[in-house]
Amino acid sequence: MRRLFLILAALLLAAGCSIAGGDAKGRTTVTFRLWDEQVAKAYQQSFAAFEKAHPDIGVQVQVVPWADYWTKLPADVAAGTAADIFWTNTSNFGLYADNGQLLPVEFTGDWTTSVVDLYTRNGKLWGVPQLWDSIALYYNKDLVPDPPTLTWDPAAPDDALRATLRKLTVDSAGRHPGQSGFDPQKTRVYGFNAAFDLQAILWDFVGSNGGTWQSGDTFDFADRPKTVQAVQYVVDLINAEHVAPPAADTNTNGDKALQLFTQGRMALFQSGPYHLKSIQEAAGFQWGVAPLPNGPAGRVGVVHGVAAVASAKTRHRDATVEVLKWIGSADGQRPIAEGGYAFPGVTTAQPVFVDYWKKQGVDLQPFLDSAGGTTFPAPLGPRVGAGQTAYTPILQQVFLGRLGVAEGLRKAQDAGNEAMKG
Amino acid sequence: MRRAVLTYLALGIGAILILAPYLMSVQTSVKTPRQFAQQPPLAPPRPPTGANYAELVVGGHTLIPPLVVTVQVVVVVVIGQLTCSVLAAYAFARLDFPGRDAIFWVYLATLMVPVAAVLVPRFVLLSETGLSNTFWGIVLPSMFGSPYAIFLLRQFFRAVPQELLDAARIDGAGHPGVLRHVILPLSRPILATLLIITAVTHWNDFLWPLVITSGARWQVLTVAVAGLQSQYQGNWTLVMAATTLATMPLLVLFVLFQKHIVRSITITGMK
Repeated sequence: MRRLFLILAALLLAAGCSIAGGDAKGRTTVTFRLWDEQVAKAYQQSFAAFEKAHPDIGVQVQVVPWADYWTKLPADVAAGTAADIFWTNTSNFGLYADNGQLLPVEFTGDWTTSVVDLYTRNGKLWGVPQLWDSIALYYNKDLVPDPPTLTWDPAAPDDALRATLRKLTVDSAGRHPGQSGFDPQKTRVYGFNAAFDLQAILWDFVGSNGGTWQSGDTFDFADRPKTVQAVQYVVDLINAEHVAPPAADTNTNGDKALQLFTQGRMALFQSGPYHLKSIQEAAGFQWGVAPLPNGPAGRVGVVHGVAAVASAKTRHRDATVEVLKWIGSADGQRPIAEGGYAFPGVTTAQPVFVDYWKKQGVDLQPFLDSAGGTTFPAPLGPRVGAGQTAYTPILQQVFLGRLGVAEGLRKAQDAGNEAMKG
Repeated sequence: MRRAVLTYLALGIGAILILAPYLMSVQTSVKTPRQFAQQPPLAPPRPPTGANYAELVVGGHTLIPPLVVTVQVVVVVVIGQLTCSVLAAYAFARLDFPGRDAIFWVYLATLMVPVAAVLVPRFVLLSETGLSNTFWGIVLPSMFGSPYAIFLLRQFFRAVPQELLDAARIDGAGHPGVLRHVILPLSRPILATLLIITAVTHWNDFLWPLVITSGARWQVLTVAVAGLQSQYQGNWTLVMAATTLATMPLLVLFVLFQKHIVRSITITGMK
């Protein structure tokens, strides 16, 4: 028995002083949390340079998995254990800003205007723009030799987009949708990635048809005929035209369309620069980026940005603001741009990112054009995250074809607004 | 004969259904991301690569520190739980004190409260005492026994014949002596069962370590593996290699304790 206690005591001791030492240099440690472990590496490079210039401040980078990021954050904010600076997206920052959990940003920088707009609420800026993405059209050059410039119009049954997609979609017997004997169960190549993907597909079509999704902090999509029409168009591409993979495959598997594209089984893939690295790594064919399809209201794409916000409960405000200033500067963001991870929020760091991809043979101009043209606002409001959680299962039913579009949007809007009231 | 064929057929199908996911994760783990993205999931890896494993052992995504933390957590929790549960179960089973059964049933009732319900209060409690993001924050809530373990042991201890205990008492043994020389030697199978159940539960525990710790210092395996995936980057080949590595110690544990596990299933009737 005594021996057991000795072993136990030794183990407890060993556990108490496990591997990896703390910051013993007497520096102020500022914590920085994000959800992307690849970009975390770029930040680490950036902070190494920062620490050289500020020997009294150390920055500790924490990666919390994306899947659990929004579960863990509320608990940490409530308990006062949140990181000093953390990444946020537009759906989630409003609540914290309104509740006084964030420090307003009281300095300015050379930042992308659209992202600054997204994080300005009640006349104050709450986050320092870090990354942004816009939407464009990736295309497989083996299947589509020339950069496609497509138009779409829900009122014309044979608009260029539908006609092109029918031609691009092929089943195992070489037949196209619309031809007799075409078997959608045996599709070999899909034309397009129409799916329940709000950012990359749905909102872009809604915007390009002249519809809206939200007005102020409430959803209004079911009340806008243009919105309903655009959603119907996208759902029909899947269930009536069969030019996109079935919603049963894509509703809950966000990677499905990407995999089909990299397998060479999808001709056009509408998405953001966040997929550049995956496609570059995986595609065994030549590919390029083209502008979005041009709709009745023009080319409209979603611009979304990630910002770094500072916790109002930070115990070392001055050091935190120093770090925030650094990651809002061109020098601070250079590693993110140089690594080709994402469009940096600092405008002057952008050419570095564009050059990275030019060297890989990819022209990012369509993304820049998409961001510079008419854009569709990303979701906003203090409880919009809760609203989205409420309507998602209903919209998934709509995409599966189990609920009519008009009826489903109405239900989804009611559920979403109900949840947003809190 | 025909019956035997049918039995084997049914067992074989069952085995395939249960093993297929593991085999698939193993075969994905020896593919390059490029092979994984270009070919259907069932295509064999050609040629197989060890790059994912190398990355997880010596590369930038090393899982060694989380592994060490996890082993420490499991060892401390298992020892703490077994010690405390044995003592508590002995008291509930063999000592007479006022309110014994009432306390036991109230304690047992906590089995019915889902973990998620106490997650936030527990988190607030521990972070108020300054234990968030520490080793003790991870292990303290579960190292003093669990209702399930105490219940299991109590039932087992009650089945030990009173005559044996009386004989020990006549020979001059006190409660510690009875526990050590009579009850514990008789309870080896149930203790082995508990050890395995506790070790596996805490090896796989994800939610609590995720919530109570932040950053790389006290990351356990499950949290580290989840961190390999990002919003748009599945990293599937790396994740599959990581889960294969993370299951390995459990397989070793299973092989070591195989006999006890089979016996424990017959004891507890659990699957």
